[in-house]
Amino acid sequence: MSDFIERPRYSCALGGAMSTINALPDTIPILHAAPGCAGNIAWTQNGGCGLQVGGYCGGLSVPSSNVQEREVVFGGSERLREQIKNTLEVMDGKLYGVITGCVTEVIGDDVKSVVSEFKEKGINIFTAETGGFKGNSYYGYDLVMQALAREYVRPGVEKIKGKVNVLGIVPFMDVFWRGNLEGIRSLLEKLGLRVNTFFTYRDSLEGIRQCADAELNIVVSDVYGVEAAGVFAEVHGTPFITVPLPIGPAASDEFLRQTARALSLDLNRVEKIIEDENKKYFSYLEPLTECYNDLDLQRYAVVIGDVNYATAVTKFLSDDLGWLPELVVITDQLRDDQKNKLLKASANLESGLKPKVVFETDTSEIIRHLNGLYPKTATNKYVKNFSPGFVVGSSLDRELAQSIGAPHLTVSFPVANRAVIDRGYTGYRGGLRLIEDLLSAIVAGR
Amino acid sequence: MSYLDNKEPPKREDRLKACITFGGTLCGLANKTRGCCLHDGERGFTQGSICLLLPGLAMINSLPDNVVLLHGAIGCGSCAHSQNANVRSGGNVRWGRVKDALWLSTALSESDVISGGETKLEKAIIEADKRYRPATITVVAGCVPGIIGDDIDGVVDRIQHRVAARIIPVHCEGFKTKIWATAYDAVYHGIGRKLLEEPEHSKPLFPDELEELKENYRRSRTVNLLNVSSMGRADELELSRLLGALGLETNIFPVFAKPEEMYRVTQAALSISTCPTHDDYFLKFLEEKFGIPYILKHMPIGIENTNLWIRDVAAFFGMEKQAEKLIQEEVKELRAALAEFLPAFKGKKVFVGAGEFRALATAGLLHELGFELVGIRSYHHDEFANSEYEKLINSTGKDFPINIANVQPFEEANLLKQLKPDVFLGHWNGNGTAAKLGIATHVIYNTGLSYIGYRGVYELARRLYRQLSNPVFNRKLSKYVRLPYNAQWYEADPYKYIKAAGGEGHE
Repeated sequence: MSDFIERPRYSCALGGAMSTINALPDTIPILHAAPGCAGNIAWTQNGGCGLQVGGYCGGLSVPSSNVQEREVVFGGSERLREQIKNTLEVMDGKLYGVITGCVTEVIGDDVKSVVSEFKEKGINIFTAETGGFKGNSYYGYDLVMQALAREYVRPGVEKIKGKVNVLGIVPFMDVFWRGNLEGIRSLLEKLGLRVNTFFTYRDSLEGIRQCADAELNIVVSDVYGVEAAGVFAEVHGTPFITVPLPIGPAASDEFLRQTARALSLDLNRVEKIIEDENKKYFSYLEPLTECYNDLDLQRYAVVIGDVNYATAVTKFLSDDLGWLPELVVITDQLRDDQKNKLLKASANLESGLKPKVVFETDTSEIIRHLNGLYPKTATNKYVKNFSPGFVVGSSLDRELAQSIGAPHLTVSFPVANRAVIDRGYTGYRGGLRLIEDLLSAIVAGR
Repeated sequence: MSYLDNKEPPKREDRLKACITFGGTLCGLANKTRGCCLHDGERGFTQGSICLLLPGLAMINSLPDNVVLLHGAIGCGSCAHSQNANVRSGGNVRWGRVKDALWLSTALSESDVISGGETKLEKAIIEADKRYRPATITVVAGCVPGIIGDDIDGVVDRIQHRVAARIIPVHCEGFKTKIWATAYDAVYHGIGRKLLEEPEHSKPLFPDELEELKENYRRSRTVNLLNVSSMGRADELELSRLLGALGLETNIFPVFAKPEEMYRVTQAALSISTCPTHDDYFLKFLEEKFGIPYILKHMPIGIENTNLWIRDVAAFFGMEKQAEKLIQEEVKELRAALAEFLPAFKGKKVFVGAGEFRALATAGLLHELGFELVGIRSYHHDEFANSEYEKLINSTGKDFPINIANVQPFEEANLLKQLKPDVFLGHWNGNGTAAKLGIATHVIYNTGLSYIGYRGVYELARRLYRQLSNPVFNRKLSKYVRLPYNAQWYEADPYKYIKAAGGEGHE
């Protein structure tokens, strides 16, 4: 592993924490950090999140203590106390989340004790230690969810049958987070469940406060939110399952089955639902049949993305669309146990294909991995090359796509070249959206 | 002793007594009769902002054949995902080549914080040199190395001989200064210290007297035109056009300048700033070290400012008459073209927020177009702008609110509710507040757009005319979307949280 990361496809723990709090209903983040942190995160979203920045209180509106050298020398606790007090006067929030940056964590401000002073006065406030050097945006999300579970979610409530929470989709880092959460909610509602997804229009702070009444937490990721689910289990006794991001019918079928098994639902009924959904899905595809076949739209593919997208898109391409994912590049920094889990998950494709899976954080190295799969031959007459090919990745992968002459679709952060509002790729409908976008990229010049 | 003898440039709070905290009026600031702009102005409530790292990176990311190596935590520099759009389009309009900015992060972890990051940085530089073979590697320091005490200059000196690329340290530790404009000093400091030597191979082996004469003549007609990262190609072309009309060649520097050709900035007859806030540090250095005189006065935004800017340059070359003729013709043509828009602007109220010089020069432009200025927010204040405040007092003949703030949208929201402008001009990520209040907005920095010179006046007018013709998006948005402030806040003094040492902080 090299001593740098090339063009990291995430911000820091503070960045993920700020974006996550931006996405919670009626919640105000308070940064205890150096002055530029908020701006850096706002610019990151501006350039990487399909044109979505902030929300109710995001971007440069977030309160921040903006610590300077004076605080570095004398400590920043007093400044934070003043900042929180005045934030309560100025900002209209129902919940406040204090998160820390590198500077205030290195100098060791006792943020917890300052925040607890306000908590004792009955203020809805929580805190998470999110110094940038602790990890990336995805980890920042996990830290905020852990803090919510420990400090905000009401303990000791009774479990209600048929209620679930959804974890594992990181707002803004998953650029399609809103549509994806809606898609998952609608899948779960087909099973007759009541769903808390934390971040959509249909979620509320009261629902989040009460969310320990769920009988199950569903983490739609092999990595993101898993630690938070652990905290829910420890503090609130909520069991959890981890399932891949369900994009398209194959993954959605599996998602429904796994959830139904975990909740001991009537499996026959679930199979009936799955059958109906597939019928509907393929009835939508029916008019595509001729062009799809006549235009020879099957493709080899390189899939590049974060943990959730790399695995989920690969499964969709392989097991629903019938494409040939050859190389899967997972761009996160991961521990070995996480890598093993992902390797195991992606080895299990219904198509029987065995794409090469690599863990690579450096964008310009991806071509090396692809070249390794397609060694140069002496003549170029009969060549089994990566053609017709397609690159599904982020906007950083345009240069790769261009260099191999393949069309390209941006789905994983950073998404600089698309505008995203409520489009989502989860569920059966999400699969249809993804087919539209993939095929549009191929036929755009037609 | 030059500032450039030191490893780091001084912060602007110290060098220029710059500040970011004032709430008052135009006349109040011009006269400084109240307790304004304290050196250490503070707020008891603050919102997030940018730090010098962002404008610093905006400049450095643009340099071709350069790798940015960010020494810091993993998030520092992720703003590049936004800046990359400018790098791509900027490369395309200049060289017909779309290329992403290449930047790396040492991604300092918890264990690096404890054990120090110098070894990691050293290895990263060597690996980057080997892998990408760039002309230059700019090592940019974020907050963490600044706190844990990594000596990035020491590392650079230690390993320069082991790598082919020229390594340039740039100090952007965000907690060290409140004034973003220190970023320009930080970047110029690095360039000035490391990149201005003419390479031996570019000098002729045997002198040719005729060639030398020609070269000297060329130099006597070449001016350094200093661009800023917010200045797009359209603006560069406009200023090159105007200078070209006076028979001058331009050497545009430093944004999008090739590192291997930067030494050329030492071989001009004159350096011309387009933004005094941006350039004073470097221009003084060029004069001191290379004897190149400079002009650092007006920002060529607005008709009158562009006239003044041209006159200053022309006076240096003794071309006053030509300049007057140029100005007369340009202004005549421009005024005729503007005529169709002006009725739509007459009496429309406008609020403008930007970097100090940009805000004031644009305010002058808006006044020229017939708008009524109702407020200005400048990101900081220093003495360079005093003459600009005077200009505005003289031209508008009225007083209005001035807010010195590094954004702080809560003060802005409060002011906008009171002032009710028809149109608001703000920075990237700085128009949301006004938009949610239903006000028509226009972005004041967008490097794809034209803002500068006569052409800039026309294009800005054209865009404002378009935006005022249909502000329905913001208006409808405001019915259903609210700002995150308590109702009481709008009743409060907008400058309530400004703390003044030893006196009134606001009027």
